[in-house]
Amino acid sequence: MSTTIIVLFVGLFFGFSLNKAGLTKYNKIVNAFRFTDMAVLKYMLTALVVSMSGLYALRGLGLITFPNVPATYIVGNLVGGLVFGIGMALTGY
Amino acid sequence: MKSIWKYIKKETWSPYIAGVLLGLVGVLAVWLSNSLLGASGAFENLAGLIGQAVAPNLFDNLYFNFIMPPGITTGVILLIGVFFGGMLASATSGTLKWGKKDAANSDEQWKSIFGPQTWKRWVLGFVGAIILEYGAGIAGGCTSGLAISGGMLLAPAAFLFIAGMFASGIVTTMIIYRRRF
Repeated sequence: MSTTIIVLFVGLFFGFSLNKAGLTKYNKIVNAFRFTDMAVLKYMLTALVVSMSGLYALRGLGLITFPNVPATYIVGNLVGGLVFGIGMALTGY
Repeated sequence: MKSIWKYIKKETWSPYIAGVLLGLVGVLAVWLSNSLLGASGAFENLAGLIGQAVAPNLFDNLYFNFIMPPGITTGVILLIGVFFGGMLASATSGTLKWGKKDAANSDEQWKSIFGPQTWKRWVLGFVGAIILEYGAGIAGGCTSGLAISGGMLLAPAAFLFIAGMFASGIVTTMIIYRRRF
């Protein structure tokens, strides 16, 4: 039960930061593909840098164990990414 | 304190600050609930739940039995949070257009490319979302579930996915925009 509430709050902040970064707007997403607005990349990579250093530090301290790491299957990930990109450029979500 | 509140009310934050917030949220999600951020999986969980009630034979396959088990998972709860979080954020910036006339299609750039009709945006959104979700299903995650959550665990899958996503995204945008690219 407590996990449910934590996850709900995590989602709340997740949605909040997505909206404030402007990633809920069509023009932000598509302009990243047109190289005119790099907000999507700045946002994604900042999040990556912060969370990967945080997670690896916490694992180093022995406070957490990693949950299931997404499986790597080269063709699937790549083809999925290619199909996903078409949809992303069409909808802008 | 006042300046912080003023910044919270800004419509668009610096992507770096919003990115730091997401990074911290990603760490806390793993630390406190041992789960990863993700959005696309929840739709498949819900689709499986509905599908098993309507047509159990059709949904009795490998994908829905083992890869994406149906049910109210943490992903679904997370998505509810995301919905209200986004709503809260747009309410603080004063852009929450509840039931206003142009609420469904207020993006000027979209209108200049595809036209002002709202139904066009709904149709394109629906078709695009099917393609998007299908791609996410093949790859095993979406931008948040695979690219960000996988990337922060340094999973190779995430970086392959990002490469594919940008490659086809750029080509598709080129085709749509042509000379206006």
